Amino acid sequence: MLSPKAEQLIEEYLNLPFSEVPGVRCPYYINTRAKQRAQLRVLIGKGLPQEIIEEAKIISIQYHHGIFDCEGKCLLNKIPNYDSVNPPAKCIKKFLVDNNLGIDCSGFVSHVLREHFKETRKIDIVNKFFFVPIKNSVRYFISWLRPIENMSVKHYASDKNTKKIESINDITPGDLMIMLETGPQKNRNHIILITDNDNQVIKYAHARAWSMEGQYDHGVARGEIRIIKPGEPLLNQEWVEFGTINENNETYQEAKNAKVFEIRRIKF
Amino acid sequence: MMSFLPFSPNLLQQALLYAILAAIGAFILAPVLVRFLLKFKITRSAEYDFTLKGGERLFKVGTPIMGGLLVIIVVTTITLLFNWERSYTYVPIGVMGISAFLGAADDLLNIFGKKRRNRTLPMTLTLIRVHKKWYVRLWYILTLPWVIFQRSTAVLGSHPGKGVLVHEKLLLQFLAGAITAWWIYFKLGNQWHTLWIPFDGFVSLSWWIIPLVIFLVMFTANAVNIADGLDGLAGGSLLITFAGLTAISWIEGRAAFTLLNATVMGALIAYTYFNVKPARFQMGDVGTLGLGALLAINVMAINKTILLPILGFIFYIEALSVILQVFCRRFLGRRLFKMSPLHHHFEFKGWSEEKIVMRFWLVHFFFILIAIWLAMN
Repeated sequence: MLSPKAEQLIEEYLNLPFSEVPGVRCPYYINTRAKQRAQLRVLIGKGLPQEIIEEAKIISIQYHHGIFDCEGKCLLNKIPNYDSVNPPAKCIKKFLVDNNLGIDCSGFVSHVLREHFKETRKIDIVNKFFFVPIKNSVRYFISWLRPIENMSVKHYASDKNTKKIESINDITPGDLMIMLETGPQKNRNHIILITDNDNQVIKYAHARAWSMEGQYDHGVARGEIRIIKPGEPLLNQEWVEFGTINENNETYQEAKNAKVFEIRRIKF
Repeated sequence: MMSFLPFSPNLLQQALLYAILAAIGAFILAPVLVRFLLKFKITRSAEYDFTLKGGERLFKVGTPIMGGLLVIIVVTTITLLFNWERSYTYVPIGVMGISAFLGAADDLLNIFGKKRRNRTLPMTLTLIRVHKKWYVRLWYILTLPWVIFQRSTAVLGSHPGKGVLVHEKLLLQFLAGAITAWWIYFKLGNQWHTLWIPFDGFVSLSWWIIPLVIFLVMFTANAVNIADGLDGLAGGSLLITFAGLTAISWIEGRAAFTLLNATVMGALIAYTYFNVKPARFQMGDVGTLGLGALLAINVMAINKTILLPILGFIFYIEALSVILQVFCRRFLGRRLFKMSPLHHHFEFKGWSEEKIVMRFWLVHFFFILIAIWLAMN
């Protein structure tokens, strides 16, 4: 298992702690299309749950969306018979997606791992992480100022930060499944955080947007890999997520289509 | 110039008379101004005003702006008629006029102007490469530094597109600052080349006083502008500041400035009366930029420059909150305040408008007391 605080953080992403409105799953958002620069980290898919909630409230009040009042209370609950038409959680999720509030895969992994290592090893991984050589001074300085925003999948795939795990028997909570050059156009990377392994089931969590979930239903999710063929690679096992198995499971498809698919462990 | 000794009862008597005269004039003029602003629809609209919170502040839509004209007109008229000293009052009034003119242009363009198109830097670079006429390409090359300046200042603007653009504002404010610096350095005498330090005498700044004056005039004018976000906040705080400044000028025995500050104070009494919630009008850039510049000049002209951040405490804190927020947002990717300037942060925390304004007034008043005490040392 991951540390209690890391597990709690995953739970907060799965169920954003909006007061009075349970069941809002943090959506997936990646900044590659909008390419916002020098922006708040919460607006580029790198925010903590609390920051996402704060920003949602601020945007709602600032632009008169009428979802929250100035004390942060949800106004949707006050509309009579509102639940039957559109549950507040669904409306808030749509609002988050429409306003580019969410988390991307590396942002999610970075925040959770940071909590995990802080609690278990008393270290802050951002201080140990290798971003760029110091001779690239501008980039180095930017990474020092905004570490979480600069921890990309490629950085996690680098031998300077992680080492490869060869056997699935060695997988432990906190390890990472890294997929490079995946997707239909082989142009995206993905990272998944392993949360538990009892040698029969490997549990994981990640932030992702499956095409079958449409425009608004994506977000942070949990899944598991059932070890049905011990000793064989992960791709030969049974991947289960949201009731879908292997070929119907888009996470499995991503792993299968990736040019590089590796299990890696943080070095420090 | 009339000369008075420090703590002169005669000067105080005159100052109070000017304040009363200005207050009466402003009270008479205010309803006329409100009618004028309403008639020409110089009112607040929600289109570019992101601070108008749904429900709670929507009633502010339609409130006349440019109410600051009241103070500008009254102060200018009374000073021209009764306190016109070429050595002392013409530059403060002139610089206030330039800043107020800039603010008025901004206010009017924000209401009646069209959205202004700006050539971006990448667009300019592309045109330099691809435009078919060589002389147009040359023109773009020659004006490239201007475009870079224009674009680099755009990040400072809150709602770029309409009104006076940031780079234009900065240039005009620089002009106002430069005039003040010229006046202080070349006209007021050697005594003003030094910086008064409480308890410690003077520090010679020589020509360094010039950039300092320019910076302070620009910064203070913008700081007052930033604080003008809640009903009564800028007006009430300016009233307290100019009351304190009147006291300090009187203590110092600087007659022209005592009378000028008292006049502003009197006009601000009437302005604030009409500006407290629910406001009959709002100050607008015409008032904030004009009075902000005047505040900076009047403090520097009585050689109490070091007290400016204390005399304008709330304005400086508000401006600082914006600077810190932008810094944290751009460099650290996080918000320091829920929203800047600081008064919006408290609004988001659930404080009522009245509570914020009154607490800010009280804090400001406390710092004015400190400034007066320091000025006497």
